Amino acid sequence: MCNSSETPTRLTRRPASSPVDEMDRLVDMASGRMSREIFWDRGIYEQELDRIFSRCWLFVAHESQIPKPGDYLSTYMGEDNVLVVRQKDGSIRAFLNTCPHRGNKLCFSEVGNTRQFICNYHGWSFAIDGELKGMYASEAFETSGMDKSAHGLHPVAKIDSYKGLVFATFDAEAPSLAEYLGDMRYYLDAIFDMDGQGVEFIGGCVKSIVKCNWKFAAENFVGDALHAGWTHDSGARAMVGGPVAELHKTPGESYQVNFNGHGYEFNQDIVGNCASLGDKELMKYLYTLQPEVAKRHGEMRSRLIGAISSCTLFPNTSFLPGQNTFRTWQPRGPDEIELHTWTFVNKSAPQEIKDRWRKGTMITFNPAGVFEMDDGENWEYSTRTNAGYVTRQQDLYLGLGMASRLQGSGMPGNVFRGQINEANQRAFYQRWHDLMKAGRWSEVPRRDEPTLKEAA
Amino acid sequence: MSMRQVFPEVPVDRDTHHRIEQFLFREARLLDEERWDDWLALMAEDIHYWMPTQENRRRADKAGPYGPDRGALYDDNLHDLTRRVTRFKQPSAWAEDPPTRHAHVVSGVEAYEGERAGEYRVHSTFVNFRTRVDHDNYLLGGRREDILRLGTEGLRLARRKIVITQSVLLAKNLNTFI
Repeated sequence: MCNSSETPTRLTRRPASSPVDEMDRLVDMASGRMSREIFWDRGIYEQELDRIFSRCWLFVAHESQIPKPGDYLSTYMGEDNVLVVRQKDGSIRAFLNTCPHRGNKLCFSEVGNTRQFICNYHGWSFAIDGELKGMYASEAFETSGMDKSAHGLHPVAKIDSYKGLVFATFDAEAPSLAEYLGDMRYYLDAIFDMDGQGVEFIGGCVKSIVKCNWKFAAENFVGDALHAGWTHDSGARAMVGGPVAELHKTPGESYQVNFNGHGYEFNQDIVGNCASLGDKELMKYLYTLQPEVAKRHGEMRSRLIGAISSCTLFPNTSFLPGQNTFRTWQPRGPDEIELHTWTFVNKSAPQEIKDRWRKGTMITFNPAGVFEMDDGENWEYSTRTNAGYVTRQQDLYLGLGMASRLQGSGMPGNVFRGQINEANQRAFYQRWHDLMKAGRWSEVPRRDEPTLKEAA
Repeated sequence: MSMRQVFPEVPVDRDTHHRIEQFLFREARLLDEERWDDWLALMAEDIHYWMPTQENRRRADKAGPYGPDRGALYDDNLHDLTRRVTRFKQPSAWAEDPPTRHAHVVSGVEAYEGERAGEYRVHSTFVNFRTRVDHDNYLLGGRREDILRLGTEGLRLARRKIVITQSVLLAKNLNTFI
């Protein structure tokens, strides 16, 4: 549905003028040690905007959010505000949300439908394909010989989608989305393609501010099943009347898998995450669906559809199966994020089930939710302690599950035994480190060999 | 705003207005003091407690800034509210210990006869201050529209719609009721 072959003639970039030296000092995943400075240092953050957020494929929309021509939403790629717009031919394009004339913000609504975007400052108007159509006092510009075709909106370099999830990148040299996601697609299919009809996002976007470094949130969802039993004890007691399952006692029944820095941790209990919404109808729905998913994706993947699990797609997009929250951690400096969350549901689900999920997601995973409430405080203070000059020179430990790699599991990606593990977090920071060191995509080490074909 | 229903506004008598105001002020104090069970006892059995999230949409957009099938920070019945209170009361509710200091400020109370006998439609504005640990200081303001119902045990809250001014909640969480 998306264009991926556009030549980014209107998007130029200057590389970071002075990349941070001594990146090797900051992260040593072979020993599970890492510096705290990466959560605090402004120079490192600026380099992240260049080498992570201006380079990686970033989630920008779900196709169901903008079904009709002219439907648009305003979102972020790093700190860059972008408009994501459904075109007349059904494709999706994305542009910087700024007028190329004097730089004003172009569109102030978060979501809507339009035939054109008009700048408040001097009335420059742009078609939904980004082309400059006209402006206030256009005769004056014509007299001065201005070429309107050279002043359209700045497009992203590439845009593409996978199972309804739309991603874009500012880097024309980036690998294809399929290559970027790689073997993670195998696991995404279990959640976003359960029955061949896909998912939809419902209820709009719930937004909040957390004063934490974006990586604390991303690493939590990439592999930190460990925190659930402790951090979320109070939420679990509220929703299900008892503590979180003691996952560390059954390592043989769960896994961490990662690929290109993306990570998914899961057990195979089918409904563990879903159970925390405290709604038996939702569990019944998943149990009924599971045999159908098994036919489509095999028994193993069918047991993931609402299991105790979490996933981060590198760098800043995460979701929870079963609780059905989908979210991006939008960076706002080294010590702040804007958190955007949505509820996703199977398109084919009955309306009543969709409504129940919207309610369940919101009582658990929004800023007033019984689980989310305790996460924010942990991430904020994991960030803020590093204001201490001596404190931030002490390193941090990330060594849980060092010898748990499984060979020959038959599952795609790098597979580790036991979801109580920090293997995915180490892989996340290894990828971060690789990208931060590399001057361009061709210099990024190819650590993970895909087993899935390029086109899924 | 398209979603505003228009009802004839028949003001209640002065005594009733006073009772309603005192009910709201006492409710605010119970929340300041984290007397969660006493607060829950003020809810009617069929309470719908709703705080929709606000979207920035153009004025011409018929969808409006919020709606019943859309995002909400609270969209609760009594069972949901009880669950939230259950969390607050856990010794393992880490983000509540040491406790947050609250000030629920309620003002601009207007009370009108409801559509049913013994019910009142009550408008009020609020400002909510929360301070946590040293520097975590949060401010949330907005407007409420309640339906209060007079029963054998006095007034009870049957509906509450809370329209906040923030579209991005400028806080890491919302660990109170409004």
